[in-house]
Amino acid sequence: MNKNSSLPGLGRVVLVSLICGALAGLARGAIPLGSNSNVQIGGFIGQGYIVTDGNNYPFEDKDGTFDFREMGVNVSTTVGDHLRIGGQLFAQRLGNYGEDKVKLDWAVADYNFRQEFGIRLGRVKYPKGLYGESLDLDAVRPFIFLPMSLYNPVVRDFNSAFNGGMFYGNVNAGKAGSVDYKIFYGAIPVNPDQGVADFFNTTGLYASPGVTYLHIDHTAGGQLQWNTPVNGLKTVLSYSYLNGLDGIGKFSAYPVANVALHTDRYEYTTLSAEYIRDQWTFAAEWQRVAGTFNVITPFGTSISESKVSNWYVSAARRLNDKFEVGAYYSSEENDNASPGSPSGGNHNRDWALSLKYELNEHVIIKLEGHSINGTYDMFNTVRTPNSVLKNHTDYVAIKTTLSF
Amino acid sequence: MKPISFRCVLVLLALITTPVFAAPAIIANKNVAGEKLDAATLKAVFLGKKIAWDKAGRVTLAVLKAGPVAEEFLKGAAEMSVSAFNNHWRRLAMTGGGTAPKSFEKEDELRKFVAETPGAIGFVDSATADASVAVLTVAP
Repeated sequence: MNKNSSLPGLGRVVLVSLICGALAGLARGAIPLGSNSNVQIGGFIGQGYIVTDGNNYPFEDKDGTFDFREMGVNVSTTVGDHLRIGGQLFAQRLGNYGEDKVKLDWAVADYNFRQEFGIRLGRVKYPKGLYGESLDLDAVRPFIFLPMSLYNPVVRDFNSAFNGGMFYGNVNAGKAGSVDYKIFYGAIPVNPDQGVADFFNTTGLYASPGVTYLHIDHTAGGQLQWNTPVNGLKTVLSYSYLNGLDGIGKFSAYPVANVALHTDRYEYTTLSAEYIRDQWTFAAEWQRVAGTFNVITPFGTSISESKVSNWYVSAARRLNDKFEVGAYYSSEENDNASPGSPSGGNHNRDWALSLKYELNEHVIIKLEGHSINGTYDMFNTVRTPNSVLKNHTDYVAIKTTLSF
Repeated sequence: MKPISFRCVLVLLALITTPVFAAPAIIANKNVAGEKLDAATLKAVFLGKKIAWDKAGRVTLAVLKAGPVAEEFLKGAAEMSVSAFNNHWRRLAMTGGGTAPKSFEKEDELRKFVAETPGAIGFVDSATADASVAVLTVAP
């Protein structure tokens, strides 16, 4: 990790912004989005700096780190009247996660028969809540981090897309507005290098370095979005599940043998609403995450219920052509806390305040502060060490993104 | 002679300083002229939910990047500001959900593109529309 620098964080990010601004000028000429070309190229490069006081959260950053970046490049084209194909490569580094490895983020063949019915096949973005499919789009919101109760960036490498298919469409409901629907089924490849592994590793069940085998049999779900007749208001119901989720590794209490966590079904149910009026954007989401795990050790099998309530409310306001501000309150609550466990370990309550500045059409700079009470979903793992978890965490992040 | 009132001066100043433009006109390639277009269809087209015409092939959207014509048209047709419309399409294009509209700085370029591209639809100041394109009206 690059923790030493002669330039302070703000200065380096501003410098990167200026370089991005210059690149954006070149990009305008190189990426012919407004031309007659049938091929569209888009992408983004983001570089941030984050420093935390309290616990390492959402990744190792207590000493401040520039290991906070992402990039994506996508290409798409149309074939005939109804078929569209495209894909995006994506690389990310969040502390000790991601390691800038380039991966296929999405790649689809999309055949739209008519407004009411289409099929998307390939590696498809995972529809969950308002922003599950657009986690990386810095340009469309003032926040650096979406509320982590629903959109934890550490699991982005696992839950942003699936390999499979989706039916989708839009049904006109007359005076009642319209309804968008999505129904999907597919596979999510997982491995111990991904951030999701640390949700297993932090349980204390596994000997270091943690889980050595992760598997999900399949995922499925659906989403209904009601575009209400009230101008700017939409509501969304999302349901999905992971089937046959397994995590296996050496048992910390008896490292010559394995321990396994297994659940037949891990479910996400999300209710969402977003209201855009003039320069304001309001959003609120509530999510229930639930599963029943078998904890399989050499000494027997026990049952562990997991039930978590996540929610947030957010407001953002565009001040003028250049500035947008936003704030949210986000809460995670363990609804199945062990008797006698410290209350701070069962919740994570996060106040966030953000400012976005648009340098030009392509380059934005964001500044964001967080104040968090509680330690739920804060890790103590090899990649995000917190040998003693403190009950309060503050952090500041600054990030610049070039998109084209 | 009556002195000119302060209110009259304000009205005159407003007329002088307000940009003058006529109502936005929906223009399309001539092969789109026979398509039925009501408000719901227009909204579905500009939000990327309807991607093919009934008889005129694939929809190709052409939009002005900014300006009062874009603001007024998108507020009426898509019920969005230009900023919200751009964000909507960024989300779709960057996540495999759609093909982003062709965007233009100048109305003349947009009109030329629409005239030359089968299935294309866009909007310009009504004064810019000419016989090279079909001017569409929205059925009630």
